[in-house]
Amino acid sequence: MTAHAEVSVGLHFSPREASRARAISRFRWTILGPLIALFALVLLPVLFLQLYFSFHQWSVYLGSWWEADYVGVELFREVLTDDRFGWAIVRSLMFSAASTVGCFLLGFALAYLMHKPFAGQSFFYVIFILPMLTVPIVVAYTAEMLLYQSGPVNDIISRLSGTQFKVAWLTDADIALAAVTLLEIWNWTPFSFIIMLAGLSSIPREPIEAAQILGASRWRVFIEVQLPLLRPVIFLALVLRFLEAMAEFPKTWALFQGGPGTATETIPVYIFLTTWQYFQVSKGAALSYAAMMLMIVIVLLAIRLLRREKRALDIMYAAPEGTR
Amino acid sequence: MTKARRRRLASLTRYAVLSVWAAIVFFPIYWMISTSFKPDTQWFAWPPVYIPDPPTFSNYMNVWFGVQEYAETQYIQSLQKPLIALRNSIIISCSATFLAVAFGAVIAYGVSRYRILSEARMFQLLMLRMIPPIVFVAPLSLYYSAIGLLDSIIGLVLIYFLTSLPYAVWMTKSFIDEVPREIEQAAEILGASRWRTIFEVVLPLIRSGLVATFLFILILTWSEYLLAFIIGKTEAVTLPVELSKYQGTSEGRVYGRQAALAVGITVPLMIVGILIRKHLVRGFSFGMVRR
Repeated sequence: MTAHAEVSVGLHFSPREASRARAISRFRWTILGPLIALFALVLLPVLFLQLYFSFHQWSVYLGSWWEADYVGVELFREVLTDDRFGWAIVRSLMFSAASTVGCFLLGFALAYLMHKPFAGQSFFYVIFILPMLTVPIVVAYTAEMLLYQSGPVNDIISRLSGTQFKVAWLTDADIALAAVTLLEIWNWTPFSFIIMLAGLSSIPREPIEAAQILGASRWRVFIEVQLPLLRPVIFLALVLRFLEAMAEFPKTWALFQGGPGTATETIPVYIFLTTWQYFQVSKGAALSYAAMMLMIVIVLLAIRLLRREKRALDIMYAAPEGTR
Repeated sequence: MTKARRRRLASLTRYAVLSVWAAIVFFPIYWMISTSFKPDTQWFAWPPVYIPDPPTFSNYMNVWFGVQEYAETQYIQSLQKPLIALRNSIIISCSATFLAVAFGAVIAYGVSRYRILSEARMFQLLMLRMIPPIVFVAPLSLYYSAIGLLDSIIGLVLIYFLTSLPYAVWMTKSFIDEVPREIEQAAEILGASRWRTIFEVVLPLIRSGLVATFLFILILTWSEYLLAFIIGKTEAVTLPVELSKYQGTSEGRVYGRQAALAVGITVPLMIVGILIRKHLVRGFSFGMVRR
């Protein structure tokens, strides 16, 4: 806040302050100039090409791309009436929502169990963050080694339950999407866990202690004191995880390539298939454009939420150290 | 029940729940490591072999060093070139990360002290990260092929630099915000230029934060798959893409080899992640949540 005040000092007419404002402005453009130039060099042509291909029918077999035929909004009409794309959006939303909620509930429960010091706390912490430190593509291949029908996961479940447990995780169209969702939850519960743990250990202590002194049960303290105080952190954990899940590609692709059938065809997988397996570059571009618009709407909503919650977080961290 | 007994029961339940989750978390990692030490007859065995017997280094020797003499069954030898991919991965992720942190720290200083980007602009910067790469990777690869950056290390460095910039700016800003301004003001009064203040006063003060930011972004760029897969086809192959080449092998899956490569990719990452475990939350939340 004070920095902002300093910038606007230039509005007054003291020559010293005016020269200071000029110096700051020069400093600003020395930093931002190269960056804006880089954006202009990389992102603008990319956006232009995407638009170009969305309006021109071209595939790799048709010669030079700059001679492709102009087809107007034909490709967009095709995309918007494409049932497969509609289902891909539905699958992406289902996958992201389910894995976000799964990660959050598990991560929050673990964080709640661990937010007060106990013997072995840092041991469990280190173990619990391991999944998000594995490379997604490694998760996919390890999952394949674990989940094939006579593989160790079915074997262990059979032994523990005493029944013949033979789920075809990787080839049954009905559970394939659930299998990727479970993998995503395994992979990213640590994300929700560390955020909720940090949240639980930095909310102010006094309201909780006050409620306890007044005789509130642990459950009521949780619902009526801790949960409201944790709201910004909860939103953050949900929003950021949801956005990352919408972009998930490596695991879904490496394990299923959209199959069996179209059971795991999420938005990224469908765009990938259209562009690099069917070589319909133009349709892929129109699909990307539609997906980008969808994501921009979602991201703008997310950013609105994050801006509001960040203010609450900044106020919390500005409180003196001893009170939390 | 007395209060003490109830407390002991609660503590036991906690350990039980945490241990179950620890087992679920650790088992796949254990399976990857154990498979990497299994001889080829045990990769698919029924019932599954849980402890390699006898453990062997043949998968590592074959995958990483191209030693050919170890297969007992029909599984063919790996002819991959992981050392080249390893070199590419190190060059690409280190230089992209270094650029992002260097630029990011200076921008973050400007934002923290002089508001060179408004709050709204800072949040718009996040869009670079939040829009999934799949929506721009096809036009990007065509553009890259037009300007000769397709399949080049520079092309990957450039795009990784741009997509990790939001993390770099936000994370370093959260560290710079914690440095009291009085120190810089003292430097300014003593006549230091703004750039000297940045490089000789502010950045050294957040040294450990910069290291944490660097390692955090290194984790992200090291494990990135989609962009590397599309842009680095044959020359600029990174380790995750090298690993995915096993997918196309028609002679049955070579799980042991795959696992030996996977362990080599993952273990350095885990070590780095454990080293900066206290800062991970700051990284993943763009500096908004701290510990």
